[in-house]
Amino acid sequence: MTLERPDRADPYLDLDEYEPEADLMVLNFGPQHPSTHGVFRVVMYLDGETIVKAVPYAGYLHRGVEKLCEKLTYAQITPIVDKNDYVAPMFNEQAVNMAFEALTGTEVPIRAQYIRTIVGEIQRVASHLLWLGTFAMDLGGAIGGGTSVFMWCFREREMILDLFEHLTGCRFHYNTHTLGGNRHDIPAGWAEKVHATLGHIAQRVDEYEAILDHPIFKARTEGVGVISAQLALDLGLTGPLLRASGVDHDLRRDAPYNIYDQLDVQVMTDTGGDCAARYRVRVREMRESIRIARALVDNVPPGPICGTKPIKLPVQTRVKDGQVYVALETPRGELGTYVIGGGDNRNASPYRLKIRPPSLHALSALPYVLPGHGVSDAVAILGSLDPIMGEADR
Amino acid sequence: MAVDESDLPFEHPLYDLMAKMPGLDLATTSVDKLLNWGVRNSLWIFPMATSCCGIEFMAAAASRVDMDRMGTIVRGTPRQSDVMVVAGTITVKMAPRVKRLWDQMPEPKWCVAMGSCAISGDFYRDIYSVIPGIDTVIPVDVYIPGCPPNPEELMGGMLALQEKVALKRAGLRVPPEVRPETAKMIKPRVGRAEDPTREKLIGHHQALQARTLDLTEPADLVEAMTPKAAADGDQEGGA
Ligand code: SF4
Repeated sequence: MTLERPDRADPYLDLDEYEPEADLMVLNFGPQHPSTHGVFRVVMYLDGETIVKAVPYAGYLHRGVEKLCEKLTYAQITPIVDKNDYVAPMFNEQAVNMAFEALTGTEVPIRAQYIRTIVGEIQRVASHLLWLGTFAMDLGGAIGGGTSVFMWCFREREMILDLFEHLTGCRFHYNTHTLGGNRHDIPAGWAEKVHATLGHIAQRVDEYEAILDHPIFKARTEGVGVISAQLALDLGLTGPLLRASGVDHDLRRDAPYNIYDQLDVQVMTDTGGDCAARYRVRVREMRESIRIARALVDNVPPGPICGTKPIKLPVQTRVKDGQVYVALETPRGELGTYVIGGGDNRNASPYRLKIRPPSLHALSALPYVLPGHGVSDAVAILGSLDPIMGEADR
Repeated sequence: MAVDESDLPFEHPLYDLMAKMPGLDLATTSVDKLLNWGVRNSLWIFPMATSCCGIEFMAAAASRVDMDRMGTIVRGTPRQSDVMVVAGTITVKMAPRVKRLWDQMPEPKWCVAMGSCAISGDFYRDIYSVIPGIDTVIPVDVYIPGCPPNPEELMGGMLALQEKVALKRAGLRVPPEVRPETAKMIKPRVGRAEDPTREKLIGHHQALQARTLDLTEPADLVEAMTPKAAADGDQEGGA
């Protein structure tokens, strides 16, 4: 089977009929490799230095979260799904709780919606910071020994973790969202801290951009790993990957949840579709998130932070039947949660909970994009996809 | 190689030399001290960072906590490292690889289990795809509880390991680390390595998988997993 498409490689290349120009070599990359961002394996078939075929293998971090959730009550699920996308846990919590709220018809008070939006945007900055640090490290000696940007990004990320620690008491895995609202109200002095931190980070982002405006960085990212808009749409890519390919799509604007319908979210797009475009989109998104969070944090309306009565027993929430799909925009794209009510424990657990992870779809682009590149580019491409294996394998 | 267990006093050419040259014993002990100091303070880490705890591990190696000042440099290859820090959930698919990487590390080597997933499997303990603690596969020297442990706790764990290494190098007996157990914890269905109820087959299966990198045919695995006696008995019964 061959695919005659100019914008993508053939992932089903028949190697028996392939005539190599140099030696054909099989290179196993992963599952334990510092550049695979977790445990992920790609078997690459090389013709000399060029990849002709790439076969990805996932599942090294399959923890059976969906199965586990079928045994737990609705209140117990939140801290479990935290561990899926461990770089941006706030979104996992929000996703399942939004699904449960839609299932039970619970109203979320406006103050809780504000808090959710603010922590989400701050978390987006933290996630992109971590991505930027590890991506720059993947590119190795490109910029000042490679680890400088990593160190700087972690310095700023720690500040954000401090903010969350102040709010929820945890560095990550917060367990702050709950059915019908939030657990933790904004403490006194938090808003000023947010302003100080985000103002500081906004300056730093400018610095990173100045530093990474570097010929080596450009040479290693520009024109590398081009994902065309059609390929991105075919594979179901979302988030920065889709926007970097020139498709103007952001759930915050197109299918608003929380209070995004009252906000004017600037959707950042780029046209290159290559690693450099993905980098630019993420950096601009960081600025936009900083802007949104800083604008909101002063205007949080007073009121309750949780719509339901405090739950004394975790089994109090019972849902007989019904099904619902909710999606929200995480730093990696559309995180969908599909829940069917009426499961174990006399309807206190979901019958089925399905998570649609954006990272898994991002990884599915590899067989189409990698062929034609060198091995060093493979590291850059894999890094630019920003996969989180905890989420992809679940 | 047969071990000579006779009571002959151990002779080493160095002993003669030492007797002849006063001051040499001082030099050797000094060299020994220097070696101990070096071993203790240059524990290079091989990060087996699979999931969330790996992010905290990275945070520990990064700017704020900066674990490198203890001499714990993070290396990307098992051949150059002394300590394997298992940070994150280890699945059935990953465990043979972990074992293989552990086998590739040169002696002396140590293992640190970071986070409740590496200690006991955490709440994934009873899931079909997660192994209940890394100590069912490789021996663990220090356990760092938490989900995830803070970077400072990881640093505390590494300090504890340094103590342990120093004691061992000094020739003192160090009692083996006991896994933190809570009274109410559900027992994992798969027994731990030293658990008498644990099936022999599991260890055999894991060893086989590690040796073959999981690439053997399933049929071979089944055959290898079938205990010899039982198979023989079946055949006899059939005949
Ligand atoms: S112990 Fe907690 S933080 Fe660490 S890997 Fe397991 S779930 Fe993640």
